[in-house]
Amino acid sequence: MRKLGLVLLTLSLAAGSALGLAACGDSSAKEGGTLTGSYAAFPDSLDPAVSYSQEGWTAMYNTYLPLLTYAHANGEEGGKVIPALAESLPEISNDGKTYTLQLRKGLKYSDGSAVKASDFPSSIERVLELNSPGSGFYTGIVGAEEFAETKEGGISGIEADDKTGKITIELTAPNGSFTNVLGIQFAALVPGDTPAKDITTDPAPATGPYTIVNPKRGQGWSYARNPQWEKTNAELMPDLPTGNFDKIDITVVRNDSTQVNEIEQDETNWMVNPPPADLYASIKDKYEGTQFRVERPLNLYYFWMDTNRAPFDDVKVRQAVNYAIDSTALERIYAGQLGATHQILPAGMPGYKELNLYPHDMAKAKQLLEEANPSDMEITVWTNNESPNDEAGAYYHSVLKELGFDATLKTVNADVYVPTIGNVSTPDLDTGWINWFADYPNPNGFFEPLLNGEGITPTNNINFARIDVPKLNEKINELAEEPLGPDQEAEYATLDREFMELAPWAPYGTNTVSTFVDSSIDLDEVIFNPTFGHDLTSFELK
Amino acid sequence: MAAEPNPAPGSPGAGPWRLALRRLRRNRVALAFGGLLALIVVFVLAAPLWANHVADTGPNQTHTLEKIEVDGERREVVNVEGRPIGPAWLGAGGKFFLGADGRLGRDEMVRLMYGGRASLFVGFASALLATVLATILALLAGYYRGWVDTVISRTMDVIWAFPVLLLGIALGIALALGGLKIGPVVIPSGSIWITVLIIGGVLVPYTARPLRGTVLALREKEFVEASVAQGAGPLRVMFGELLPNLASTIIVFFTLAVANAMLFEAALSFLGVGVQPPDTSWGAMVGDGFDLISSTPLLTILPGTMIFLTVLSVNVLGDGLRDALDPRSKVRIEAHAGVAEPEGTAV
Repeated sequence: MRKLGLVLLTLSLAAGSALGLAACGDSSAKEGGTLTGSYAAFPDSLDPAVSYSQEGWTAMYNTYLPLLTYAHANGEEGGKVIPALAESLPEISNDGKTYTLQLRKGLKYSDGSAVKASDFPSSIERVLELNSPGSGFYTGIVGAEEFAETKEGGISGIEADDKTGKITIELTAPNGSFTNVLGIQFAALVPGDTPAKDITTDPAPATGPYTIVNPKRGQGWSYARNPQWEKTNAELMPDLPTGNFDKIDITVVRNDSTQVNEIEQDETNWMVNPPPADLYASIKDKYEGTQFRVERPLNLYYFWMDTNRAPFDDVKVRQAVNYAIDSTALERIYAGQLGATHQILPAGMPGYKELNLYPHDMAKAKQLLEEANPSDMEITVWTNNESPNDEAGAYYHSVLKELGFDATLKTVNADVYVPTIGNVSTPDLDTGWINWFADYPNPNGFFEPLLNGEGITPTNNINFARIDVPKLNEKINELAEEPLGPDQEAEYATLDREFMELAPWAPYGTNTVSTFVDSSIDLDEVIFNPTFGHDLTSFELK
Repeated sequence: MAAEPNPAPGSPGAGPWRLALRRLRRNRVALAFGGLLALIVVFVLAAPLWANHVADTGPNQTHTLEKIEVDGERREVVNVEGRPIGPAWLGAGGKFFLGADGRLGRDEMVRLMYGGRASLFVGFASALLATVLATILALLAGYYRGWVDTVISRTMDVIWAFPVLLLGIALGIALALGGLKIGPVVIPSGSIWITVLIIGGVLVPYTARPLRGTVLALREKEFVEASVAQGAGPLRVMFGELLPNLASTIIVFFTLAVANAMLFEAALSFLGVGVQPPDTSWGAMVGDGFDLISSTPLLTILPGTMIFLTVLSVNVLGDGLRDALDPRSKVRIEAHAGVAEPEGTAV
């Protein structure tokens, strides 16, 4: 879960946090010039080993490159993993436990030093040394757990030969989504001598088309062309774009209305997050198709029900709740920025097959509840205090009261909300609100952590419904080991239906973000990658 | 303000309270704001009447997808873009008189009235709690002096040393989940009493310290010595002799504490650690309306104005009470400010 992404995204809906880029350059030139911009808040980090937010990943998509990356494309196409620093996608052994890659020859960092195969293990070790939130992605490598504990001796499961450029990764168990994991920002290569401390204000040399220069926390940063990109790297990585602007300046502007105003005044190019909620509709009406576009990242907003506690231990009660929820109301609560959905997998995720098992029907909900006749109608409804999630929680609370539950709403500070509801000893964890953002486009990222009963833990639990169905756990485990293909996607679609029949959740929507650019930018050219967000190299003057 | 006549005409035997009341009645500004405060109190007390007989909805009842008829035109309470209906005034028979409160489509007028009840309740209850505790502590510290005074005063200093809002937020967050358990007393999380206790507790030093100073001064007076000489015990001296002489000061501090407590509650609720949803207060309503401030500023302005008017009323009334109960303070203040307007004989 990209936690900070959630916080910033929801903040943006409520208080209007917005992310933007502003341009003031030569409006007649297709290339060159300066793109200036603004973030509503400084990202959590500009260190590839540390950042775990959409904002941070957007900022580093074109600077620190992993061995693999995600295609610079919109929608499903953008979910494809392509080679970056590696020559090709990994060779995977028959048992699914060994990944072999070949580093492209001749690659250079922006300071002119050579990119070495051994930079890969040192970069992964750095992730673990920094106790990064991304550590968990790599602890499946042989020896990584030990290294994470001792921080000594290297990761025995990674072999890298600087002479040949060959990199071999040994996993403790097959992992069908490991190719995805090799393409996320945490796996980006930095020189082997990069210190094990956050390099936000002291950026490492880059391998991508841009380097980060002059970063100042809370104020902003700039990008300059990587001198080695044109000399060597661009030719070696022909699938990766070069970008149209020579320089990009980003400043932190905390007032979102100011950001919107600057775009409308053609002083700002781009806002990656939606405009503030109260301006969203008017901006959309006025600029959709010319300067505004709705984007659909891979996420799900849902209400969970604890399947081990009365009254939600009865499937009929859970189904009743699903029937009672009206996504139309929630769409309004999210100011039109929510796309209704009623299943586990969001649209755009491989394996997604549209389901609507519980169309809104309050009469049917009441009938099911009557049939279930639960003895315990006293429940607590949990939500956090960020708008509009607090309003979604209040709506859910009112729906449950309408159904006849004696419901108490408990609103918890967003900073401690997930740990609170993830601690199974917290009293009265009956039902509540939550959202989930995919780290990469693989359906396993929804089923394995959120619905596999074997993953239930006393603290930091994220299977909030505490659903534990051995038959389905087994299926999740099997699919987790297999690389994604058409057969697996079909299996995931079936799994989606099987879980929704058990109704541990009441999913209600996927949240959208937007592309909002000024009149000088060609909207059609702007790419929104489902994993990394907006692609700075795609921005182009009309 | 007119100077106090000397002596009060036609009432040679009038007691201090009567004299104070007379002075207060002559203070038109204080009376006007006292009247405004009374109107606000009546307004919030009438909340159930309005909710049940006019608006026909509760403060937490959502109407997101409903439509109402306003002046013969059918309108959505919340439109598809999530924008709430504006004031319908009497166009819908009093329903949504001030419009809807946001994307949940709750009746703003009903929420404003119920929110006011919470704000006023927290304001008065916290101030009462702070004043009672402060008075007891001030009497103990001022009467016993010595180590008792040292312990109480330093404890007050410690509380005072914390930035008051941060202390309130920290306590609010700490108590938000588990509530409060002190022996047999259990206050569940989310209860309005948690907010009352936090604000009341945090405000104690602000009243206790000046009261302690007054007690220390009174402690040296002859009437206290006389009482002790007659065999009065500590409790008798504290509550029989000192407390009555503190009454006017306590009343003035109480009104100031009410105003402070209301502002404090508004700040805590705005930040999400005061009155808990789905219940509301004016401070919480300001916070709720904040993200719609560009399109529907009324949602922020209305509760903000109510806070402003109430706090102003309480403060002006408090000033009037101070002038009425302790006219010497006015002389001191004006003399200090260089205003050459002699006040009448002090009471």
